Amino acid sequence: MADPLEKDGAGVDDEQPRQRFVLDEGDFNEVPAKYRRFYRHWRGAGDQLAPNEVICPVCKIVIRSTRELRPGDRVYCMACMTRLRVTRSPSGQLEGECEY
Amino acid sequence: MRGVADLISSFTVQHWLESAAQGHLLGTEHGHHAGEREPDWLLADGTLRARAIETTVQLVVAERCALAASAALVGAAPDEASARYFATQTLDEARHAEVFRQRLLDLGVARDGVEDAVRDAAHPSLLRFADALLERADRKDFLATLVGANLLLDGMAFHVFELLHARHDAPNPKFAHTLAGAIADERRHLRFGESRIATLLRADPARRADVERLQRELSYWVLAALAEEFAQAPPPRAPSRRAARDPGKRAHWQGHDLDALAPGELEKLLAHTVLEEFKMRLARIGVTYQTPVRP
Repeated sequence: MADPLEKDGAGVDDEQPRQRFVLDEGDFNEVPAKYRRFYRHWRGAGDQLAPNEVICPVCKIVIRSTRELRPGDRVYCMACMTRLRVTRSPSGQLEGECEY
Repeated sequence: MRGVADLISSFTVQHWLESAAQGHLLGTEHGHHAGEREPDWLLADGTLRARAIETTVQLVVAERCALAASAALVGAAPDEASARYFATQTLDEARHAEVFRQRLLDLGVARDGVEDAVRDAAHPSLLRFADALLERADRKDFLATLVGANLLLDGMAFHVFELLHARHDAPNPKFAHTLAGAIADERRHLRFGESRIATLLRADPARRADVERLQRELSYWVLAALAEEFAQAPPPRAPSRRAARDPGKRAHWQGHDLDALAPGELEKLLAHTVLEEFKMRLARIGVTYQTPVRP
């Protein structure tokens, strides 16, 4: 499966249909070519995450899905091969928690 | 969901080829774009050039240590998938040692003067770190070597490279590109290290105390090496003047304007970032961070 969103967090925040996103080809080149549009570099302070994006806490790469992400989702970071569960921080931003 | 053993075996040589050799390294020359060179403002200023050589020496020393540790981990690996993975990491570390050595040559160090430059400028605490880590490697202690190499040494390198990348991105694209490639490799090393250490500790929880002792000892040398690096640092000069003319090119990292920080403040920011990341990585694998103590 190409999209990093491997499994929906079914039942969590699912009242509204999820937004869909078209991913552009960026300059991220740290994974095999066919997966590159699903990742981008974090540009530091001032950078903003879109609703379909979450940061990998292990390697600090932004993971991008073609679908809006919600708490409870499981996503995969191919840059460092980490599986993450999406959570919402107190500030309202989506975060990834590493799953072992 | 796949288990950790599956995850470890997914770090294949094929994945490494597609991600590194055919990925971020495609078309590069000594880790940077072909034809790029060190900037004139750096080569023309004796003080800045000498400082760049001293900093690059530390990168060479750290990468040589990582190379020796990774090579030892191939032989000490308890399973075939880990041995294959460490073969790729060994090549990564050899490449890093080589591109930073090449930078010494690009900065004007004579080919037959490289080893003298390394011997003269290597920080004592970095050498102590290397001695302590490679002693574990010599004993073929896979877990201890893995913790030292992938969690602590690569953990420190990741943030040092990020800081250097932020500072050089605008004024020195050649060095920034070299660092970007090394950062990409460190991502894989850190993740494999976390996963593998977690599985080993799950199988043998009694070794948790060993890991905590090792982290306490090696973290001390990490912090001491950072202090030695910044103790020699003059306030930033040429890049700051350029940045002052073009505010859009000011260097930022971790939310801080690097051009506005004194060396002591930079050291504090880097040490804090490195230690906070150590804590988070250790917490994810169930190890309690220990405050560094001089061995």
